[in-house]
Amino acid sequence: MGSVTPAPAGASQTLATTSDPSRDRHESRLRTATRYALIELARNRMAFGLLVVFVPLWYGLLALLVTTAPVAFQLNATGAFLQVNGRDITVLTAGYNAITLIVGFLIYSATRRGSRFDRRLTLAGYPQLTLVCAKLIALVIASAAIALYADLVMLAFWRPESFVVVWLGFFFAALAYGTLGLFLGVLVTSELAGFFVIIMVSLMDTFLQNPVANPVANKPILRVFPSYGSMQIGVAGGFTSTVPGVATLIALAWVVGFALAGLSVFWWRTRPRGQLRG
Amino acid sequence: MATSVLRAEAIAKSYRRHVVLRDVTFAVPAGTLVGVVGENGAGKSTLLKILAGELAPSGGHVVRDGALGYCPQEVILNDALTVRQHLDYFRAAYQLHNLRRAEEVMALLRFERYADARVETLSGGTKQKLNLTLAVMHDPRVLLLDEPYQGFDWETYLRFWELADDLRARGCAVIVISHLFFDQKRFDQLYHLADGVVTATTAA
Repeated sequence: MGSVTPAPAGASQTLATTSDPSRDRHESRLRTATRYALIELARNRMAFGLLVVFVPLWYGLLALLVTTAPVAFQLNATGAFLQVNGRDITVLTAGYNAITLIVGFLIYSATRRGSRFDRRLTLAGYPQLTLVCAKLIALVIASAAIALYADLVMLAFWRPESFVVVWLGFFFAALAYGTLGLFLGVLVTSELAGFFVIIMVSLMDTFLQNPVANPVANKPILRVFPSYGSMQIGVAGGFTSTVPGVATLIALAWVVGFALAGLSVFWWRTRPRGQLRG
Repeated sequence: MATSVLRAEAIAKSYRRHVVLRDVTFAVPAGTLVGVVGENGAGKSTLLKILAGELAPSGGHVVRDGALGYCPQEVILNDALTVRQHLDYFRAAYQLHNLRRAEEVMALLRFERYADARVETLSGGTKQKLNLTLAVMHDPRVLLLDEPYQGFDWETYLRFWELADDLRARGCAVIVISHLFFDQKRFDQLYHLADGVVTATTAA
């Protein structure tokens, strides 16, 4: 029983599969794919609407409704408990909550909508690796921009000790949920199921780490949650202006883990089936 | 007759116990227009996906010579991008230096005025025109078309055949799959797909 199928379509498929000596050509294709990946993200009106309306509204509501009574938050870097203003840490968690939901949703919907188009591009000769890199670059840029926006809007409600370190925490949270969105986007078959998973994971993750919502927010189990590392960075930046090294590594590990899982499935799904004969 | 640029050799495809294609064998020479007709569910799209390399067969081989153009039955486009951005994206995919051929095809199908329109704002027929243009803009040697004129009005349907004749004249082997052919005389060769095998029904 044979199994050989034709090569992917495209005028220069043979060239592309043997060797592409032109670095310029590779960079040009990467720029093209990144540009269109970014345009696609920027044209998601739902995500844009959520950013404009939901982010300030969510900060505002929590700032208004939550008590300023001090609560204890355990910082991983020192093991010590910080006594922090309950309202301030809730505003900070609101940022995480909004960012993780919006970036997760944004990347998830782009990945789902674009999956067949990406497959067509690879059949036409677009190198998979270039498309994968472009998606990652677009994800990093979108995460950085959304983290910056959420950090800026937060200033209207609370001024953290270090704007930059909080941004770093937001950035890692955005990256983790963006890569989770990518993973779910290529994995799940039901659109609703993916949204539901992102909402539930984000809700549990960010809610349980807020000591106002969860008085036992220092349990070791929380360390295995996706936004644990980035939340530690955010709290350190918000109240002490230090950058916790271990937390940064943990945050990075989640990003790398989700990205590898998602990109492996993407790679598998868009691969050409077989090789050219004749 | 010219040498074959596409050969299907004993193609078989099963989904678990469900046999879709049993033994499909045929060859398509350069510069010919070939039709494959079959009832709904006969496995036409499965066959085309295998010929295109989108689906692996359970058995058999496909031998192809030269660049492939593939127009799937469903319109596969990106709603967020404009027509021009689609052409640019596929220009990069096919590694073309310019969009001259794409512009010619757009002019023939009469949708150049939508060049800067986002795909989500286009009608079904215009999306189908773009879907087709993306498959032929690199002057392929083998072109696979799955129900390519669905959603076309009569005039566009006639223009589609103009394009198909033009491609044939350029030496392209054009394979059209459909459940119904009104104009069987347009083809050099017609195959009927039933019970997992193809049989030649008309020879030019």
